[in-house]
Amino acid sequence: MEDQDFLRPSAGEAGGQMLQGTLDLMVLKTLESMGPQHGYGIARRIEQISEQSLRLNQGTIYPALLRLRQRGWIRAEWGTSENGRKARYYALTKAGQAQIARETESWERVAATVARFLKAANSQ
Amino acid sequence: MGLGIGRMWAMFRRRRLDGELDTELRAHLEMATEDHRRRGMSEIEAREAALRDFGGVTQVRETVREREGLLWAENLRRDVLYAMRQMKKSPGFAAVVVLTLALGIGATTAMFTVVYSTLMRALPYPDAEKILALHDARIQGVSTGGLMGAPRFFDVKARNRSFESLGFFFFDHPTLIAGRQLPVAVEAVGTNGEFWNVAGVRPLLGRVYGSQDDEPNAPETAVLSYSGWQKIFGGDRSVIREQIRLDGRAVTIVGVMPAEFNMPSGVDLWHDAQFAAADWKSYRGEGARFINVFGRLRPGVTLETAQADLDRIGEQLRAEYPHTDGLWRFTSQTLRESRYGTMRPALLALVVAAALLLLIACINVANLLLSRATARQREVALRRALGASAGRIAMQYLTESVVLGLAGGGAGVAAAFVLIRGVAAKLPGKLGVPGTVEMNWPVVLVALVIALGTGIAFGVAPVLESRRVELNTTMKQGEARVGGSGHKLRSALVSVQVGLSLILLVGAALMAKSLWHLLTNPLGFVPEHVLTVSVKVPWDTKDAGIRNFFGEVQRRLENLPGVQAVGQMDALPTVDWHLRSNFDADWLPRMGNQPAINAEDRNVEGNFLGAMGVPLLAGRALTAEDSREKNIPVMVNQELVQEYLPGGNPLGRHLLVNNTPHEIVGVIANLRGTAGAIASPPGPEVYWPADGNGGVAGRYFVVRSQRDPEQLVSAIRKQVEAVDPQRAVGDVATMDELLNHAVAQPRLHVTVVAALAGIALLLACVGIYGVVAYFVAQRTQEIGVRMALGATRGKIAALFVKRALVTAAIGLGGGTCASLALTQLLRSQLYGVQPNDPAMYGAAIAALLIPVAIATLRPALVAASVNPVEALRE
Repeated sequence: MEDQDFLRPSAGEAGGQMLQGTLDLMVLKTLESMGPQHGYGIARRIEQISEQSLRLNQGTIYPALLRLRQRGWIRAEWGTSENGRKARYYALTKAGQAQIARETESWERVAATVARFLKAANSQ
Repeated sequence: MGLGIGRMWAMFRRRRLDGELDTELRAHLEMATEDHRRRGMSEIEAREAALRDFGGVTQVRETVREREGLLWAENLRRDVLYAMRQMKKSPGFAAVVVLTLALGIGATTAMFTVVYSTLMRALPYPDAEKILALHDARIQGVSTGGLMGAPRFFDVKARNRSFESLGFFFFDHPTLIAGRQLPVAVEAVGTNGEFWNVAGVRPLLGRVYGSQDDEPNAPETAVLSYSGWQKIFGGDRSVIREQIRLDGRAVTIVGVMPAEFNMPSGVDLWHDAQFAAADWKSYRGEGARFINVFGRLRPGVTLETAQADLDRIGEQLRAEYPHTDGLWRFTSQTLRESRYGTMRPALLALVVAAALLLLIACINVANLLLSRATARQREVALRRALGASAGRIAMQYLTESVVLGLAGGGAGVAAAFVLIRGVAAKLPGKLGVPGTVEMNWPVVLVALVIALGTGIAFGVAPVLESRRVELNTTMKQGEARVGGSGHKLRSALVSVQVGLSLILLVGAALMAKSLWHLLTNPLGFVPEHVLTVSVKVPWDTKDAGIRNFFGEVQRRLENLPGVQAVGQMDALPTVDWHLRSNFDADWLPRMGNQPAINAEDRNVEGNFLGAMGVPLLAGRALTAEDSREKNIPVMVNQELVQEYLPGGNPLGRHLLVNNTPHEIVGVIANLRGTAGAIASPPGPEVYWPADGNGGVAGRYFVVRSQRDPEQLVSAIRKQVEAVDPQRAVGDVATMDELLNHAVAQPRLHVTVVAALAGIALLLACVGIYGVVAYFVAQRTQEIGVRMALGATRGKIAALFVKRALVTAAIGLGGGTCASLALTQLLRSQLYGVQPNDPAMYGAAIAALLIPVAIATLRPALVAASVNPVEALRE
């Protein structure tokens, strides 16, 4: 990724690059399945899906959202939440959908490779 | 813990909540708190939990803010890198663009440096805007260069309410003897003590003299200029309080001025003239105007108030001395105006010319970038499809052109710097005074702003082009295509370019013709093989001493081998010298206080006509005997006869000065340049014998000889020394050199404008060539179709030539109109040619049309050589 050099691990992002890429994909995927959603909603959803196996500081979501927006994968607009609060809603763009496809493919390839590798190592 | 969280929460709330991020985060925390409370937590517990889940609020906020700022910087960095990669990828393209811009920006910067140095930068005196030059001017008719008579100076000094100090200086050419050294002729000015208060500059060494040194019985004092100090005393610091002899008088050196002090420039020393008002009472007449006057305004006094004050004094003097002061008034202008005011039109014209070139360069670059933008349309379309916003792509194009602009600007400023450093000292006239024209930070700053501006300006065209990229169509088409409007934009740019080039060419043609007139109009004398040297005796030398000295030198020079004729004159043509008198004439009626004739006086001796090569039109030349007559006879120039006795015979008639008749014995041709500028028409002139009326103490010897001037000068020096070892020879120059010097300014202007016009022409040709070549490349298929349908090669070529020429013709039309308007600026600079001279317009149009036609021909022929089969197959 071209802009890694100016990214500092943000609060709670101790997992480093791996986690960051993962978080991006999770956000995109969340938006794909849920439609436009505000930051709190996205964070809650990720916590639920990962079944608490990923202890996420919810604040981490915001640098990720900005990053995704700057890449043109999501867009943001102001709306009103269920209980009448002004909140910023994020939605997937076309480029974001394409990115999910690319990322999914690369994830699956990596996962399959690692799985094959583990299997081969075990069978020895 | 609870307290800490509470404080954090409070801090968060206290923060300005108007930022979008803050609003968003606050919404997040409130929603989380609500969720927790719904699950049964207390208010405080819920807040605590929300903050815990969130992590560090401040950290998140900072990370996001930093990222927002960085995005901008990062995009810029990426765009700059991208631009540099593009430059590396096509170095030829980058080189052409940078060179083109360097020419435009370099020329503009160099010109602006001159303008800034003269018309804008503060003059090197404290509160320079408070210094006024005071001129004495005729209410009507020709003035004497603003010089004032000493009595009028003392009157202004006594009566004014506007000036805290009033100073004067007059040029003086004394012979200086320091210690046991040989006498040297020095350039000096005599001033009063207050002169230094007006200037307000502190000396480098010692002190300046002041009003107390003005007293006629005070010891005489002098202040050396830096160059005089170096030249005569080798920069010896012990020179202070040294006594020298100036024209035989003992004078003490009291100070040395810094090198930058140039009031006036080129002098070796200033000395206290010790003028007393009482001594000058009887010198109110015409011939006694010789001092340059400057005043420093009192605090709070405006230029207008000062002028009103001077008008009041002028009025009083006109009433008190109607005979001598009746036709005179005082004028005033700022020091800057008096120094550089006359150059303003020329300098502004040159800056306009340079700016036109810059515009032409920009258009060329815009056209180049436009072609490239077209080639890149597919890339743009692809990036748009991948989500890049139109804004980002526009920014990228702009960054690229700004990088090119700055590269060109940097190169241009560097070139201008080298140029200015190289030629500043060689510039003619006041511009060449050391320290006058130099590049400094304000100029560089302006140049870089111009570079930035041009980068943005020529980057806009491709941006507009890229905006029009239709995602679908461009992607679908196998090849990028531009609509007709792209062609129109290009053609319009070329038209403008041709028009701008025409303006420059017309300007160059007009100025060249003007210079040609200056150089070739009859001068009234023959400047070839004439050597001139100045020789002076102290002004208080006795009449007989003056006559004997010059007579003896004259006799010795005549006897030098290879010398054809020797004459003497008090002020050579091209030397800025004014000495005018009023005359009555025995053929003209007297009208009250009005003098019948006002004419320039010149004093000549020896074989002046022969040495100078001046034709004698009627009567006889003056002889040595004439100066001894009681009523001295005179010669007049043709202009005086034409003005005051048209068609009549002046020989035997008389000019009257204070009722003394002076017979006109000869009429000579008009000498151009006797009024200083060789462009100004000669006025009426009266030629006197220099030995008459007590004798003129400072003269030029005019020696006509085929001998090598260097040898001749040393021979002349020996002869002068042999007559009087105290006298030195100065101002050695051939008449050719003086003339060259006199036309140096117009010649420089022509050279500059012609160079700019030449570059403009080249750029215009490159521009039109590029555009036609581009049309041809774009339409290869169409050409193939046309040829397949029976169009001949000639017709195809003609099609493109016609198209290019229509474009050029539109430009020529516009350019002609613009030239007619703009060349009015040149009017004051032109000699013997009108700003709308049709021949020069014709020449400029031809000079432009021929290379432009040739430039279109090659791509047109390429079009004609298209193989229809191949073109259609593509």
